[in-house]
Amino acid sequence: MKLYGFLLVAAQLPAVLCLWPLPRSLEVGSSALKLASSFEIHLNVAHAPSDLEDAVSRTKAFLKNDKLGRLVVGRGASDSGALQHAPALRSLQLSLAHNVPVRSITDEARLPIGTRSEEYSLHIPADGSTATITANSTLGLFRGLTTFEQLWYEFSGEIYTVEAPVSIADSPAYPYRGFMLDTSRNFFPVSDIKRTLDAMSWVKMSQFHWHVVDSQSFPLEVPGFTELASKGAYSSSMVYTPSDVQEIVSYAGARGIDVMIEIDTPGHTAIISAAHPEHIACAEASPWTTFANEPPAGQLRLASAATRNFTADLLASVARMFPSTIMSTGGDELNVECYTQDAQTQADLSASGRTLEQALDAFTQATHAALRAEGKTPAVWEEMVLDHNVTLGNDTIVMVWISSANAAAVAAKNFRIVHGPSDYFYLDCGAGEWIGDDVANSWCDPFKTWQKSYTFDPLANISAAQAHLVLGGEQLLWTEQSGPENLDSIVWPRAASSAEVFWSGPGGNLTTALPRLHDIAFRMRQRGVNAIPLQPLWCALRPGKCDIDS
Amino acid sequence: MKLFALRVAVLFAAAYSPVEALWPQPQNIQTGSQTLRLAPGFQITVVGHGVPGDLIAAVGRTKQYLFQDRLERLVVGRGAVDAPTFSKAKALSRLTLSLAKGASFASITSEAQKAPEDRDEAYHLEVPADGSGATITANSTLGLFRGLTTFSQLWYAHDNTVYTISAPVTIEDAPAYPYRGLMLDTARNYYPVADIKRTLDAMSWVKINQFHWHIVDSQSFPLQLPGFTDLAEKGAYSSSQVYTQSDVRDIVSYAGARGIDVMVEIDTPGHTAIIAEAHPDFVACAQATPWATYANEPPAGQLRFANATVTSYVANLFSAVAKLFPSTLFSTGGDELNTNCYDIDTPTQAALNATGRTLEQALDVFTQETHKALEAKGKTPVVWEEMVLVHNVTLSKDTKVLVWISSDNVKAVAQKGYKLIHAASDYFYLDCGAGGWVGNFPSGNSWCDPFKTWQHSYSFDPVANLTAEESKLVLGGQHLLWAEQSGPQNVDPIVWPRAASSAELFWSGPGGNLSTALPRLHDVAYRFRQRGVNTISLQPEWCALRPGACDLTA
Repeated sequence: MKLYGFLLVAAQLPAVLCLWPLPRSLEVGSSALKLASSFEIHLNVAHAPSDLEDAVSRTKAFLKNDKLGRLVVGRGASDSGALQHAPALRSLQLSLAHNVPVRSITDEARLPIGTRSEEYSLHIPADGSTATITANSTLGLFRGLTTFEQLWYEFSGEIYTVEAPVSIADSPAYPYRGFMLDTSRNFFPVSDIKRTLDAMSWVKMSQFHWHVVDSQSFPLEVPGFTELASKGAYSSSMVYTPSDVQEIVSYAGARGIDVMIEIDTPGHTAIISAAHPEHIACAEASPWTTFANEPPAGQLRLASAATRNFTADLLASVARMFPSTIMSTGGDELNVECYTQDAQTQADLSASGRTLEQALDAFTQATHAALRAEGKTPAVWEEMVLDHNVTLGNDTIVMVWISSANAAAVAAKNFRIVHGPSDYFYLDCGAGEWIGDDVANSWCDPFKTWQKSYTFDPLANISAAQAHLVLGGEQLLWTEQSGPENLDSIVWPRAASSAEVFWSGPGGNLTTALPRLHDIAFRMRQRGVNAIPLQPLWCALRPGKCDIDS
Repeated sequence: MKLFALRVAVLFAAAYSPVEALWPQPQNIQTGSQTLRLAPGFQITVVGHGVPGDLIAAVGRTKQYLFQDRLERLVVGRGAVDAPTFSKAKALSRLTLSLAKGASFASITSEAQKAPEDRDEAYHLEVPADGSGATITANSTLGLFRGLTTFSQLWYAHDNTVYTISAPVTIEDAPAYPYRGLMLDTARNYYPVADIKRTLDAMSWVKINQFHWHIVDSQSFPLQLPGFTDLAEKGAYSSSQVYTQSDVRDIVSYAGARGIDVMVEIDTPGHTAIIAEAHPDFVACAQATPWATYANEPPAGQLRFANATVTSYVANLFSAVAKLFPSTLFSTGGDELNTNCYDIDTPTQAALNATGRTLEQALDVFTQETHKALEAKGKTPVVWEEMVLVHNVTLSKDTKVLVWISSDNVKAVAQKGYKLIHAASDYFYLDCGAGGWVGNFPSGNSWCDPFKTWQHSYSFDPVANLTAEESKLVLGGQHLLWAEQSGPQNVDPIVWPRAASSAELFWSGPGGNLSTALPRLHDVAYRFRQRGVNTISLQPEWCALRPGACDLTA
């Protein structure tokens, strides 16, 4: 039903309409409408939260400063005639539905996944009379503002649309529309993360998955565990302090984004040995290829009671830094050989009479219990349900990463799913091997183009009865070969493709999507995000002319 | 011989200081293991009269880099591990530059703009460990400039100390190949002058000496040309996305002062669709569809080269462009000519009938006429490989050939006796591996997949399958950035530090060791960042601080 509605609307779209993600229901006209120089946004909300007021201010600033010329040959010069007699829009009014509680955008964005209200309606009459956004939550109003900002172009000092009237009723197909950033392989200053959160919000992403630590570095300063960062961060300036975390979390929240932190365990933890060698097996063991998927080797001694308690306490302390209801405990790429050769692990297993898998089960139950005591729902990588036999709560969220083919197996086990498959959504693929003294390709070649990601089907091989388990998905940036230097250019506009798949639903048309994606990429640039060109500008100004079959 | 010297150098590097971080690796280097500081009043002086302004400016930039790079050494603990040696270290207060006896001063710019074979980039650098004066000597200001570039890579900073731990240093250096280039396409997407200048700076830091400017193509014509201003007026992406005459002068002199010659390319007769905007009569199959029949990428459109008016127009156009660029080299392109385009073009068929020529014969006439115009301006033509491998056109023997389709084609070009420049897509194309850019094609990978890693480029052999005689025809080579999916947004991360791998290959010679090269490449990448160029990380920083620990066999 949803799919059908989407396609019907898409086919009727004017070629130049440039909203991203595409609203679920949309009617537009072909009249020119200017923004009056006195244009105002009125917040018709009693006791409006300050993050909504701030969002309104940002929208006004974008409307004024985007200065985006329409992506047609002549860049808007051909619109100037229509603009001469165009009516002017003087105001946009935001209001909530009757009898809904007024909460901050931040609070709404952090509600448990599946209970967030992001729907909104937007109406812009062609005659200059007041435009309106209505919603059931401040988060919905914020999504509506984001759509409103994308409607306008600039030519010769006029801010205008050529598609009034506009009528939109919109809501996301999936609640989890995310982006994952790894800040451990290489460090990203807070300002880069904030810029990324801004860009995410412009395409209505709802979830920042922060893979904050890994085997290479531990940049998170955790109260009670500060030695991990003081010995495991790349340098004393390459850390996230509790106040940095607070800043990132509130910056995200104000932009409708929840922050899911991941402390990957028990693998991917070599760097903990810098502060606590007693907790790490096979730390920096060589050859690393025997003990890990990438250097350095090193995993938590999951069979040790002391290590189990340490990890549970660490996770609880991290949980208290993050207001989200979700927290990931990782669980990918566990290397068995590391434990086979670790005398202490073997002794711990002997003493307790457990197998390694049983010890992993005990470890997972203990650490997840610590999280739940802090009110969190655990998220794990797919191996925790597909490769290991561990006891997980029914509400555990499972991130599918190895292959999109594994989603069906996770669904068959009745767990909720977030799609993050390497074969569709890994942004680092295709940039060559980074291991030294090796001439090879990336393990997940080829590069995942926006077109490839865009064709992802969230329900492939998943039965109708299991469809409700799919929470959404995310594109991911592992940073072996990334840093602040190429963050924007490797992520944008590609990551926008999954933002639309999971907001608008799958099955979008590549030919009509491309001009819209060009548009959002150009708009991102106007706002200071270095989104790359997807094509020569010649193509961007001539929709369809550079398609394979044109 | 050169290759042997390099192997010796690698041995030295392995024996003395694995973190020694020069790029490209000098031909001969000896280093010690003493710490030497730069004195706070450190001075660089040039001996002699008539020191050219661009050398004085280069000295000024070097001093700035020395004190502003603030690069901490790439080891665990960074510069702090060296701090205990600072108190006993001698201080270097002077670097003296002088030309060899009998040599006289000419500007770096004029030395760099000589024909590749005539450039003298050799230099000798001495940095004693005892604090007595360091020296650079060379036969030319260009050599002195290369020496300054090496000198500025020797130093790290910690707190307020600028130091090396590898004194004394003795270097005897000269390039293996005279052409070490980088190509940028400014037609698919436009790059502001500031981005080109930043790229030229970065090129000079790794001793690249040739900027190959693929300035126009079928998608846009950003070059504002005296007498031909209609081309940019109607063919640039916008009135602000142009290179004016003064922009070109600015870029050429900025490059020259940094030891870089600018070879402009006006690609003909293909890759010229945009000329139709100003001169529809000159272009066959302009924007014809389906584009896949008439061109390798949209939009289709090629010069009607069988038409005498078009031929003389292009000859005049070349002359006008030639006046803007002081280089001895000028590329006339010549790649990817599509014959379907001419088969359906009535004016071309009429012109061929009238002259009794075949298409190939007409191409020969066109090429001779247009090259003659260039040669009248003192230029040596440079062409893409198809002009010698696919077509039967008359070229002067000193024409230089860019091999791009495949490194397998090098041998055939050499066998025809032309000097050649390596630009093979299978080793040096920086755009490969980023997916197809053509629309409505979700399964499309880049045509030249996979991505060319620095390690792959670095392993290139410039004389593979060539005889000793043929090997003499190799001028050097270059990395290339075609810009269908690039712009100012990603020029730094897509080019750097990868393009440094060919810079070393063609300066130091091939056969370099990947394991010892990587720490040096990290070092130059980190230094680039300190200087404002967004080079990407090649590895997690954990690896960059631990040479060898992330090698495949570590």
